[in-house]
Amino acid sequence: MTTQAAGALAPAPAQRKRPIGLLLVAVPVLLVLWLIIWPIIAAMIQTIWLPTSDGGRGFSVSSYQFFASDPYSRSNLAITLWTTGVCAALLLVVCLPIALYLRFSDSRIAAYVQGLAIFPMFVPSIILSFAFIRVLGPNGTVDLLLNSVGLPKIKSPYLTPWGPVIGLVWDNIPLTVLILLSGLGNVSNQAIEAARDVGAGRFALLWHIILPRISNSILVAISFAVLGIFSAFTLPYVLGPAAPEMMGPFMQRTFRDLFDPTNALTQAVITFAFCILFGLFYVRSVAKNRTP
Amino acid sequence: MSAAVKIAKPIDWTGIVFAAVLTLVIVVPLLVVGTWAFTNVWRFPSVIPQEFGLKFWYQTLARADVWSSITMSLTLATTVTLLSAVICLPAAYAFARLDFPGRDILFFSFLAGHAFPKFGLLVAIAGIFLQLNLIGTFWGVVLIQLVGTLLFMIWIPVAAFQAVDRRMEEAARDVGASPFRVFWSITLPQAGPTIAAALLLSFVGTFYETEGAWLIGAPQVRTLPVLMISFINNQPVIQYGAVLSVLLWVPSFIALLFARRVVNSGSFAKGFGG
Repeated sequence: MTTQAAGALAPAPAQRKRPIGLLLVAVPVLLVLWLIIWPIIAAMIQTIWLPTSDGGRGFSVSSYQFFASDPYSRSNLAITLWTTGVCAALLLVVCLPIALYLRFSDSRIAAYVQGLAIFPMFVPSIILSFAFIRVLGPNGTVDLLLNSVGLPKIKSPYLTPWGPVIGLVWDNIPLTVLILLSGLGNVSNQAIEAARDVGAGRFALLWHIILPRISNSILVAISFAVLGIFSAFTLPYVLGPAAPEMMGPFMQRTFRDLFDPTNALTQAVITFAFCILFGLFYVRSVAKNRTP
Repeated sequence: MSAAVKIAKPIDWTGIVFAAVLTLVIVVPLLVVGTWAFTNVWRFPSVIPQEFGLKFWYQTLARADVWSSITMSLTLATTVTLLSAVICLPAAYAFARLDFPGRDILFFSFLAGHAFPKFGLLVAIAGIFLQLNLIGTFWGVVLIQLVGTLLFMIWIPVAAFQAVDRRMEEAARDVGASPFRVFWSITLPQAGPTIAAALLLSFVGTFYETEGAWLIGAPQVRTLPVLMISFINNQPVIQYGAVLSVLLWVPSFIALLFARRVVNSGSFAKGFGG
């Protein structure tokens, strides 16, 4: 900047606070403030500071009371909680064995399994929805194959609560496997071998040695999945039943089709409340892995 | 393990079972879609199509709504990626190299959006856009998708700038290169490949972004994924959806070719908190 800067002893930049940095980061930081922080605060204010009959605005929890007393809203919340719980449990049941296998095997088959487990990351959920309908939908591939060997057609999960469950589990396999695998990297071979030497069986090994060491990764994987699934939109909208619907399609319909932003925002704030613990835990874990 | 090396390796039955099951549930459904795209006639209950052919490729590509949404998707993804690069790359450089008040808290502020369920956050943003008359507009969709790229477009380039060899930069400065010249000839070439990966990620991510585009843009702004939703819901001809799926997968395929190595490395999972 000055001619002195070219001199032999330029001051180390880290030692001086230079406000020019603030200028360079200003635009993205303002975007975060305007389009993430402010909408959340505004949504909370807008849903408790409602228009009153005399034309002004006043404090009222009537939109939350409506949500709590409306049977349709409540059944939507219930189906969302059910879907999220079932998906999280299924993800663990499916992904933990895959991750354990990948951690302790180095065969060529393991490389293929890892490739497959990560592959859904490169399939957009809208293509997945279409594939789901073509395979498990009415007269889909499964029906074709059953029919060709003289068996009756399946009861299709398409447009039932199981449709979104299958789609969301499929969609979330890659990151769950990767997060669990990364946690399993912290389990040392010595610990495993020491336990084997004293005669620990497979189950004891898993329960006493491996699970305690990866419990944090399991929580991270579940938090990430819950955040994604609780307000998922595309898969429940395309594959799920029309009623009751999950919170994602419910909010979209309330906002765009019923032109009712106040109730849509109420529903959004309620999803925030249900996910806040998972969200904070997840963000804390990501931040811990990263130093600026 | 050492004993296992001496004798012949046992057959990896667990692996074979996993490989078979995953092939069945992950590869086969996509192959079915691929088959539908190249099928002229496939009536129930035939297990294989009665007639293969490209008939529906011609028909799909002759549709005006397909072309307008391809154009819309490409325009949106390009606009968002360029805007994101313009505002995020200088910020990433500042985070990596400069010290300024509030640096740490501002760096982690980009995580804020990830503490909330995404669609709920989108609805909250839509509440703001409603007052600004941005619903149903191109720039409304650009803004909502731009917010989605910030974290990747700052965190990944920050790592890239931090990995640049500082001694080479200092050596260039010592022989009289201007700060701009140092940045252009030393810093950028070293950080370039990682930054390119971040750009690709942001482009592909924006291309497939469905929820913001549907909530804010539809029906005026119709991207390819949004068109695909309406094909699934209202289009009786299966092949249109199948051909569109194959077309829609192209950017993901390109990303797959470039990103496999990045995704398989441990640091990627760490970025997600693993």
